[in-house]
Amino acid sequence: MPEISTDTTTPVERQEADEPRRRRRRRRDGPRTSDERSGVWYPRWYWPSFIAPGTIALIFLFVLPFYVVFSVAFGTVDFNNFGTAVPYYAPWWWSLHTFNTTLQQFYVGSHIYQAPLIRTFEYVIAASIICLVLGYAVAYYTARFATKYKGLILILLVSPFWISYLMRIYAWQGLLDTDGPINKVLTPFGFGHTNFLEGKPITIILGLVYGYIPFMILPIYASLDRIQESLLEAGRDLGGSGGQTFWRVTLPLSRPAILAGIVIVSLPMFGDYYTNDLLGSTKTAMFGNLISQQTEATAGSTRAASLVLILSVIVLIPMMYYLRETKRQMEQA
Amino acid sequence: MRHPKDISRRQFLTRAGGAAIAMPSLAAILAACSKPGTTSSGAAGDPLENIQIATLDAPVTLPLTQDPIAADTPIESGPLVLYNWADYIYKPIVANFEDKFGVDVQISTYNNLEEGIQKVVNGQISPDVFVPTPGYLRRLVAKDLLQPLNHDLIPNMSNVWPSYSNPGPYYDLNWHYSVPYTIYTWGVAYRRDRVDDAIAAQQGWEALWNPDYAGKISLYDSYGDTIAITILRNGSLDVNSQDPQVIEAAKEAILQTINDNDARLTINGVYAKLPAGDYTVAEAWSGDIVGAQWYLPKGVGTDVLGYWKPEDGKTMIGNDLLVIPKASQNPRLAHEFINFMLDEKQGTENFTQWNGYQPPFTSIQPESLVKDGIVPETLTSAVVTEDMFKKDLTPYELPAEADQIWLQAWTEIKAGA
Repeated sequence: MPEISTDTTTPVERQEADEPRRRRRRRRDGPRTSDERSGVWYPRWYWPSFIAPGTIALIFLFVLPFYVVFSVAFGTVDFNNFGTAVPYYAPWWWSLHTFNTTLQQFYVGSHIYQAPLIRTFEYVIAASIICLVLGYAVAYYTARFATKYKGLILILLVSPFWISYLMRIYAWQGLLDTDGPINKVLTPFGFGHTNFLEGKPITIILGLVYGYIPFMILPIYASLDRIQESLLEAGRDLGGSGGQTFWRVTLPLSRPAILAGIVIVSLPMFGDYYTNDLLGSTKTAMFGNLISQQTEATAGSTRAASLVLILSVIVLIPMMYYLRETKRQMEQA
Repeated sequence: MRHPKDISRRQFLTRAGGAAIAMPSLAAILAACSKPGTTSSGAAGDPLENIQIATLDAPVTLPLTQDPIAADTPIESGPLVLYNWADYIYKPIVANFEDKFGVDVQISTYNNLEEGIQKVVNGQISPDVFVPTPGYLRRLVAKDLLQPLNHDLIPNMSNVWPSYSNPGPYYDLNWHYSVPYTIYTWGVAYRRDRVDDAIAAQQGWEALWNPDYAGKISLYDSYGDTIAITILRNGSLDVNSQDPQVIEAAKEAILQTINDNDARLTINGVYAKLPAGDYTVAEAWSGDIVGAQWYLPKGVGTDVLGYWKPEDGKTMIGNDLLVIPKASQNPRLAHEFINFMLDEKQGTENFTQWNGYQPPFTSIQPESLVKDGIVPETLTSAVVTEDMFKKDLTPYELPAEADQIWLQAWTEIKAGA
C-alpha cells in the first residue's frame, strides 16, 4: 500500500537536511559494522522489532495493570455490591479521598499502619544483612575453594526450589513448634519451650533469610567467579596481605553484585506477606499483610490499592539508589 | 495526476474497517471515562432499598428475581462445583453423591466468608452450590446472584425442622433461595485435662482473657465472630452493635489479650489445634468442638474436650445455608445435591462421622445424640435445639456504615498496632 506523505518539502531538500546527520553518524560509529561490510541490508524496523515482545509484555503485564491499580486506588467502592471496587479509569474523576485517609493512618490519629511499617523496615534490613553476610561467605567459598565440588554446591543451593515454598515453611512450623526438635535441642541451654511461632520477630527474620538467601548467593557467586586470578596475584605481588587483597581487590570488584543481591532480596521482602502468615501472628504483621488483609476485607480494595502505591514509592527509593550506583560504576569503568 | 490527499477505494475500505473495529472499543473507553456509579447502579429502584435487613422482629420475604428451574429439567452431567469452607463436608458423603449421579464434584474452599463472597461476586469462581450465612443473603439476592429454588426438587426439606419451611426462617420466608446446612452456637472450647469444668463455667468468656492460659488461647480470624463474642464478654447483649464506643471497647479488649496473653487468630484452632494440645481455650463454634473428636491424637479420649456456652438467652446462635448461584452451570444437579445433603441418612452421617456440625433434622433427638455416643457426654452443651432459635441472640447483617466501623477495628487488630 503506497504511503501517503504529508511532507511538503521536496526530496532534494530532505536529502540536504539529512546529510549532516548521516555524516556525523558515520564518524561516530567508527569502523563499519559487519552488516555494512557484507552488504546485507536490514529494513529500519528490523532491529527495533527485537524488543517488541518485551515492550508488549511490559505494557500488558505492567503498565496496564499498574494503571488499574491507580484507577482502583483513586476510585471508590460500591457498598450496595459487597463493597467491590469501582475503579475510576478516567484521571479527571480520580478522587484522592481513600488514598489520603490510608496515608494518614501512617502518621495521624491512632496511626495504626505505623508499627507495621517500622517493623517491615526492621525485618527487611536485618534479613538482608544476614543474607549478605551468610551469602557472601558461601559464594566466596564456592567460587574460590570448592574446585571440583562447585557444581554440586550450586545444585544443592538451587535444590530447595524443587519443593514448594509452602511445604518448606510447614516443615519450619514443625521444627519451631513448642514441642518441636529445635526446642528439644535448646532445652539443655535453658531455652526450652520457646514459642517461636507466637509472633517472634526472630522467627520472621529467619523465614525471610531462609526464603531469599539463594537470590543473594547466586549473583555474588557469579561475580566472584569471574574475577581473574591475575588481579588477585597482582594484589599479592604489590605487597598486600590476604586480607588487604580482599578489601582492596575482591570486595570492590564484587560491589555491583552485592548491590544487585541486596536489591533482589530486599524488594520482594518489602511485599512479603506469606512468611508472616505462616510463621508469625498479628504482632509481627508486615506491610504485605496489611495489603493482603485489605484485599480480603469487605470494601477494602481501594485501601489495598492505595497501600500498593505507597509501598511502590517506598521500594522506589532503594531502587533509585541502585540505578544511580550502577550508572556511576559504568561511567567509572 | 491524482492529488496525494485522495484516498483510493481500497484505502477507504481498509480505514472504514479499522474504524468499525475501533468504534466499539472507543465506546467502551468512553463508558469507562464516565464516572462510574452515576450511570448504572445506584439509581432509583436499587433492589437493596426495597429489601430491608432481616431480623427476627422484621422477617423478610425475598423477591423472586426469576422463575425457579422447571422440575423436568434434565440432570446435567456436571462436574458440580461446591464452594465451601475448608474441612466442612465429609468427603465420603460427596463420593456417595458422585456414585449416585455418576458425576464429579469439585470442592473449592475459602478460609473466611468475606473471601468467599468476594470471589463469587467478582465471578472469579462460579460454583453450583455455595455456603453463605444469612447475613449475606439479602445482598446476594438484590444483586441477582442467586436463583430461586424449585421446592418440588427438594422433597427432603420435610426432614428439616418445620420452622425452616413454614413460614420459613426470618431471613428468607418461604425459603425462596436457601435451605439450612448446619446450626451452631458460639462458646468457649477448652481442654478438660487442663481446665476444670466448674472453673470454665465460672470464667465463661473471660477464659479467653485469662493470663494463666497465655500462649494457648485461640480466637477466630473472622471479624464478625470475634468482635461479637467480645461484646458479650464486655457485658453487652447487643451482638449487632452499631455504637462506635462498644466496638472500640471490644477492639481494645481483643488487642489486650493478643498483646498480653499471646492469643492467636486462627481458623482451625478449635477443630485441629485444640485436640492436638496446642491450645487450652478457644473461641468456638459448637460444630468445631464436636468435630474435634476426630482430630484427637491416638490414645487420647474424647473426654479431654469441653465446651461452655452462656446461659439461655445470652448465647449466640446461627446457621449456614446452601444456595444455588444464578451462574450455576448445573442448576438441576445443584438441586439434587441440596436434596441429597438434606437426606436423613447422608446429612446425619455428614454430622456424626466427621464434620461435627449438626443439621436441623427433626429425626435428630438431642438426648439420643449423647446417649448414642455421637456427641461425647462432655460436649452435651454443644447440641443445638430448635427452641434456642427463639430465645437466643442472633447476629444479623450490619448496615454498611456500621460494618465499616467493625472492619476498621479489625484492621487495627490485624495490623498489630
